[in-house]
Amino acid sequence: MFSGLATMPILEFSSVTMTYGRGRAKTEALRDVSFSVPEGAFSVLVGPSGAGKSTLLKLVLAMERPVEGTIQVADRDIHRLRKHSIPYLRRNVGAVFQDFKLLPDATALENVALALQVLGLPRREVRARASKALEQVELEPGTKRSVSRMSGGEQQRVAIARALSGEPAILLADEPTGNLDPRLSREILEVLARINRNGTTVMLATHDPIVREAGVITHELGLEGGRLVSDSLAEVDAVQAVDLEEDTNPVLTGGLPVGAVA
Amino acid sequence: MRDWPNTFRAAGYVISRAFRGMAQAPMVQLLAVATTAVCMLLLGTVMLAWTNAQGVASAWGIDVPVTVYLHDDAPDNEIEELAGLLEAIPEVTSVEQVSPQDAMTRLAEGLGGEASMLEGIEPGVLPSSLEVHLQDGTSSTFIAALGDKVTGFGVVEDVAVAGSWTDQAQAMLHTVGNMALGAASLVGFACMAIVWSTIRLAVYARRSEIQILRLVGGSTQFVRGPFIVEGIVQGALGAALALTLLYAGFDTVRPFLEDGLSLLFAAGTLRFFTPSEVAIGVAFGALVGLLGSRAAAGRYVVT
Repeated sequence: MFSGLATMPILEFSSVTMTYGRGRAKTEALRDVSFSVPEGAFSVLVGPSGAGKSTLLKLVLAMERPVEGTIQVADRDIHRLRKHSIPYLRRNVGAVFQDFKLLPDATALENVALALQVLGLPRREVRARASKALEQVELEPGTKRSVSRMSGGEQQRVAIARALSGEPAILLADEPTGNLDPRLSREILEVLARINRNGTTVMLATHDPIVREAGVITHELGLEGGRLVSDSLAEVDAVQAVDLEEDTNPVLTGGLPVGAVA
Repeated sequence: MRDWPNTFRAAGYVISRAFRGMAQAPMVQLLAVATTAVCMLLLGTVMLAWTNAQGVASAWGIDVPVTVYLHDDAPDNEIEELAGLLEAIPEVTSVEQVSPQDAMTRLAEGLGGEASMLEGIEPGVLPSSLEVHLQDGTSSTFIAALGDKVTGFGVVEDVAVAGSWTDQAQAMLHTVGNMALGAASLVGFACMAIVWSTIRLAVYARRSEIQILRLVGGSTQFVRGPFIVEGIVQGALGAALALTLLYAGFDTVRPFLEDGLSLLFAAGTLRFFTPSEVAIGVAFGALVGLLGSRAAAGRYVVT
């Protein structure tokens, strides 16, 4: 086990409490949660359904506001972000979801381009950056197929490419393998691991055992009933790692080697 | 500091997305524009009736409560002094000096097709005058007293004070004006409701896209923009269609009205809206569309 990475935190929660509803219908989703995610980490949020994983990610995206505590993303206080500033935060935080959240009738390139059109970039730059993002997830940018005609794994790659296209400081993924079979799940993990190796901090919420076994995690947060029950930089055990397609699989080889951090 | 090139490019996207959105549901758009046009047609008819009623009133002098006829040899400085004194009265809104030439021009306009009757008549036969306009609701007692007082000035030859029939005509004009205002409000709300419901349908149909745009950092203006543009286009097109139909109707009915009510319209005052009034009408449609779409998209398309 490791004590921590010697880098600055990119995400910091301090005594964050989050509730839904009021009065008798009030439900506590998160209770006094504090942690920090080092820059460049492959962080994973684990816990059973209803533990508060999705709520935590929603807070990072400013889709919800905490009732107590502070949240910092890249040194920016987001718990008191004004409404008009929220889009600028989201341009710096890529997000991937279990249900992909893609435009089904649009092509992969059009879906990725949407995130860049928001920035008002020139058409040529939109196309170039969207193509590059698709190539990063090993998809052909020129395909004329609509995403509805793609496999689940391909659709999730498109969603990852879209999240990456804006070159975010952190990439959030909420159960990205939840709708995929084990083979496609491994493919997606491979893509996320490669993105992480290129320097992007990844934070993933999951209860998919494949993720924990893949040997790519550098930081693990355990949630249960809205409370943080564990916060550790997880040991990457190559022996426990699930046997992906072959020994040279970059997920296995790309994970942080044991002892790499002090 | 705002990045203007990027802002313009984003605006370009918003506009093109609005038109693509409209093209995705052409029947809904057509229906919305047609329904808006029907409402606007109603408003346009009332407004046109009011405009023409005002024109008739003006041609008949109904809108001038006090006309002060001046001696031919009245010195300019005394005329100006009298005009200044009248303008200083709080109830007086304006004083307009009408030269014999102006009076002749008006008479020729008033005679319309019969203006040739004036050939060979010198403008000098008509007196110059001061037209005194008063605030709405000024009592006839006050008007009569003002007329009496002005008669005493040396430069004044005669004073014509509007009678009770002009009061009635003014009251009628006032009522038509209020009706036009009421119709404008009602039609405005009706059009807003039409645009609102169409845009709500569009918001519902594109809810996934809205959610995605919000997630990838689309600003409220960026997400809401296409719907607002759509509303503006619907309102403006509805108004333009209504004005086109109204013009066609007006052009058809005009000869019958001028024949049937020749006495009333001898002055040739029956007219359609001027180009600037047409532009105001289209802008009104666009404004109604903007308000309707803003209300529809505002609540649901937020960050």
